[in-house]
Amino acid sequence: MKRRDIIRRAGRSLRQAKTRTLLTSFAIAVGAFTLTVSLAAGEGSRQYANKLIGSNINPQALFIVKDKNFFGGGQSQSGLRDYDPNATTNRAGVAIKQLTQDDVTKLQKRSDLTDVQPLYQLTIKYLVVAGSDKKFTADVSRYDDTVRNESSSGSLPPLGQQIGDDELVMPQSFADTLVSENVIKNSADIIGKKITLTVTKPSQQPTDAQIKQALTSKNPTAAIAQLTNGVSKDVSFVVSALTKQSSTNLSFTSAVQIAPSQAQQLFDYTTLGTSNYQKYAAVTALASGSNKPEDVKAALAQAGYPSQTAHDLQNLLFTIVNILQGIVAGFGVLALFASVFGIINTQYISVLERTQQIGLMKALGMPNKDVAKLFRYEAAWIGFLGGVIGSGVAWGVGTALNPVITDKLSLGTGNSLLIFQPLPVIILIVVLMLIAVVAGYLPARKAAKLDPIEALRTE
Amino acid sequence: MIEVRSVSKTYGKKSNVFVALDDVSFEIPDGASIAILGKSGSGKSTLMHAMSGLDRPEKGQIVVDGEDILKLKRKAVDHFRATEMSFIFQSFFVQANETCYDNVSLPLEIARVPKRERKEKVLRALKAVELDDKIKSKARNLSGGQKQRLAIARAIVNQPKILFADEPTGNLDSTTGETIENLLFAYNKKFGTTLIIVTHDDDLAEKCDIQIRIKDGKIESTTKSKPSQKATKDGAHKVPLGHHRRIQ
Repeated sequence: MKRRDIIRRAGRSLRQAKTRTLLTSFAIAVGAFTLTVSLAAGEGSRQYANKLIGSNINPQALFIVKDKNFFGGGQSQSGLRDYDPNATTNRAGVAIKQLTQDDVTKLQKRSDLTDVQPLYQLTIKYLVVAGSDKKFTADVSRYDDTVRNESSSGSLPPLGQQIGDDELVMPQSFADTLVSENVIKNSADIIGKKITLTVTKPSQQPTDAQIKQALTSKNPTAAIAQLTNGVSKDVSFVVSALTKQSSTNLSFTSAVQIAPSQAQQLFDYTTLGTSNYQKYAAVTALASGSNKPEDVKAALAQAGYPSQTAHDLQNLLFTIVNILQGIVAGFGVLALFASVFGIINTQYISVLERTQQIGLMKALGMPNKDVAKLFRYEAAWIGFLGGVIGSGVAWGVGTALNPVITDKLSLGTGNSLLIFQPLPVIILIVVLMLIAVVAGYLPARKAAKLDPIEALRTE
Repeated sequence: MIEVRSVSKTYGKKSNVFVALDDVSFEIPDGASIAILGKSGSGKSTLMHAMSGLDRPEKGQIVVDGEDILKLKRKAVDHFRATEMSFIFQSFFVQANETCYDNVSLPLEIARVPKRERKEKVLRALKAVELDDKIKSKARNLSGGQKQRLAIARAIVNQPKILFADEPTGNLDSTTGETIENLLFAYNKKFGTTLIIVTHDDDLAEKCDIQIRIKDGKIESTTKSKPSQKATKDGAHKVPLGHHRRIQ
């Protein structure tokens, strides 16, 4: 019998037992549904992560630290440990070694890095918007030009360009606060306004000479108070833009941002004389010219500076996605495993039911191998049907639910969690057909071995 | 020419041996009609299975046109059955869920006849048994006689050289049975197809050229129809021959 005729006859046999065929294939369909959804979710998450990283981070960017615990979150440290004057303790109670000015200078001298910028963690006393005397406090950081920012008002320089020394950028939410505090009328009004930051130089141990001078001055009380209270300094900036948090903006900073040179001056001013003076948790840099970030990362590791590239961040996100996808796919595989027994059972019954038909076909000269093929193709049809039903329903339901999911998870318009692609689904269906054929092997063999004389014996 | 030479077939082992065929030999000339007669359990069905290559006797030869089919490999026997032989069974064995067309098309598909040649052959066979108005009907909707006619169409569609009929009228009333008999003999005469009928019906056997009686696995007697009986038989053929004119 020709392959085409066998496939046709196999399909016809299944049509004659519609309910049974459908029920058997539903078992596979459950597996196919789960696997299709996991494929789509994996693809969707990866594309989303890619978009997130690709559109936000300069691919040449490196994030350099002194202590690899910075990335791992740190193993919990307890017990008696070496004292490190350059370490700071983060909120989780983990001591992280910091980069010193020497480290920064060393990194700046490297030919494979450009744009080496320490990360300033700056604390201000308060800030005041011109025309109002209300004081606010906020975190201040330097403007990161390796990350794409989006503005809701005003204008931002393109990726890779810094803002001016007298310019200041703040998140839209800050402006909203100012509106609700009646400092300004509309959030857009803040653009072009002057903002003054007040920073404090920490109080220092006065020298003997200073104490003596203070005591001998006309007003000793005021002089001593001035010595121990520390000095404040005001710096003014003009607001140039408001940044908005978009769903694909991975590294949105909730801080007032100023140019790096300004941030450095203020940081030095506020930390002078403290243990944090000229110590930085991290440094950002770009791999220079045609240097690949991965190569630079390896060279930095040699020199004792752990670092992360944009690619690492991507891999980190992908690892999470892959694990989640694996879990969902695992359930799909279990469902498939169960469906295999369904197919074996159904096909065995089918062989028993059609004993006479098999006997007749053999009497008419159908080779055993073709009889086996007939039943294997029937199994393949069941697999095909199950695959098409399962992935079809998954595709339909997923596409219908995508807007809802996007909305609930606030992924941002244009992003979908479930992305269905034809090729993986086709491959999935082919694999399901193969699994079904394997499941149909034993029943098919039983059919092939059937004795035609026995089969045609009439009672 | 079919030669059956000292064919023996046993079932069971050692203490429980049952001899189904015991040194059976006979010859069938091409185009003849043969009746293999015997009671149930006499070995007549086993003989038919052996002659068609479905069963393999331990001893003996079955030579069809100079070739011992018992020496052929299974694949070759399958091919031989698909192209040279056909069967008609007492209980029809038509596929109830399939259309008449698909039932008749089955032997052609098994024999790997190209699709474009099939349609014409199927239609011709269905016309020969006067079922050409039932092409698309499901076989389950046919009467007993129609089912057996469908089985005949299936048997003749591939123009076999040998046609085996196992109690072809056993499940039919006498009128319907006669129609089936007439169809078979007409086909035998018109195309020179060797017709081998396995039966216990003496009346049917008498209409054949040769009667071979089997008892306990041995040939009891072989008779050839007398000329006078032949005349009767020719008379009986009037209807089917007329039927053949309709085919043409």
